[in-house]
Amino acid sequence: MSTPARRSGELMRSPAGGQGPAQLADVLERVLDKGIVIAGDIQVNLLDIELLTIRLRLLVASADKAREMGIDWWEGDPFLRRGQKDGELEHRLKRLERAAGIDGDSRSDDTD
Amino acid sequence: MTPTDAIYVYGAVLKGTPADVFARVSGIDPATEIRLVEGGDVAAITSVVSLEEFGSQVLEAKLRDPDWLEQKVQAHNTVLAAALGETTVLPFRFGAIYNGEEHVRAMLSERAELAPALSRLNGALELGVKGFLDGAAVRDRLSRSRGIDSGDATGGRAYMERKRLEQQLDDDVRAFATSCAEASHERLSAAASEARANPPQYQSDAAREMLLNGAYLVRADREDDFRRTVQGLEERFGDDGVTYELTGPWPPYNFVDGEEAEAP
Repeated sequence: MSTPARRSGELMRSPAGGQGPAQLADVLERVLDKGIVIAGDIQVNLLDIELLTIRLRLLVASADKAREMGIDWWEGDPFLRRGQKDGELEHRLKRLERAAGIDGDSRSDDTD
Repeated sequence: MTPTDAIYVYGAVLKGTPADVFARVSGIDPATEIRLVEGGDVAAITSVVSLEEFGSQVLEAKLRDPDWLEQKVQAHNTVLAAALGETTVLPFRFGAIYNGEEHVRAMLSERAELAPALSRLNGALELGVKGFLDGAAVRDRLSRSRGIDSGDATGGRAYMERKRLEQQLDDDVRAFATSCAEASHERLSAAASEARANPPQYQSDAAREMLLNGAYLVRADREDDFRRTVQGLEERFGDDGVTYELTGPWPPYNFVDGEEAEAP
């Protein structure tokens, strides 16, 4: 990831307020995972969206790390652990990863 | 609108909101403009999309194209963000698509919770705060403060002892990360009307662990206070190897369901 090293400068910047595109991971998290769910006339499969979110996050993070991420991304996270049983989440993620075909994905690292 | 068109809905604003709030942004199809469709006490933020792009036959394939999805997701956010500072906006999740304006109006009338949700938000902004931990720095600091690193001792017993101390250090780094995340979230929540702690995003850089991925609903007149709270956290935890990133203001994506994050 080409994350800039200077943090204090970033603190006052507002990437979401219409001054250019916000960081992809932040936008994906909000637009695909949050907001009111409204079922319109055209079926947008929410499971698909969920798969895509995970898939895109993996692409953002680098596909090489996909398997590692599947194991590690919630470990040590006090908030996630509070709500979810580890085994349950792991099982769900594995199932989603299989369905998304991430195991066979060889896309190269695509940093934002 | 032609028979090959549909209507994409981004979210809702209160009825009577002037359409020029969205005059400077284009729709999710860049060739289109934003139109407000009123129904009940609210108005849907909409634009026309082509069924060639958003029809159920093609959408599934489109959704699997990361470039397409990224572009559309950014556009969805840009439209909603245009309302920030102008009026309260209630974000919908990506992909609410209708075959005609009358269907949009019917949805608005059925969804009686939209107007109260807009009143509740009342112009509040969402700010994101991410906290990052330099685990190696924390480990070094803890290690130095205990005078570990006397590498001259040899033999099985010294080795076992060092192993034990290393394990203890790892545990202490974890404990620090957890308590720092909780303390940070608590302080930020106190400066906000509502708060959510989301799962940390994956970091490809192993030296930079995300320990907090919080979203905070902040009244417009408290935004400066909130920013100062983030600066206060930097001052408090900066020397411990923790950095913070503030993002936003965002449309209040994380606060559309009206749940309270913490018991009062």
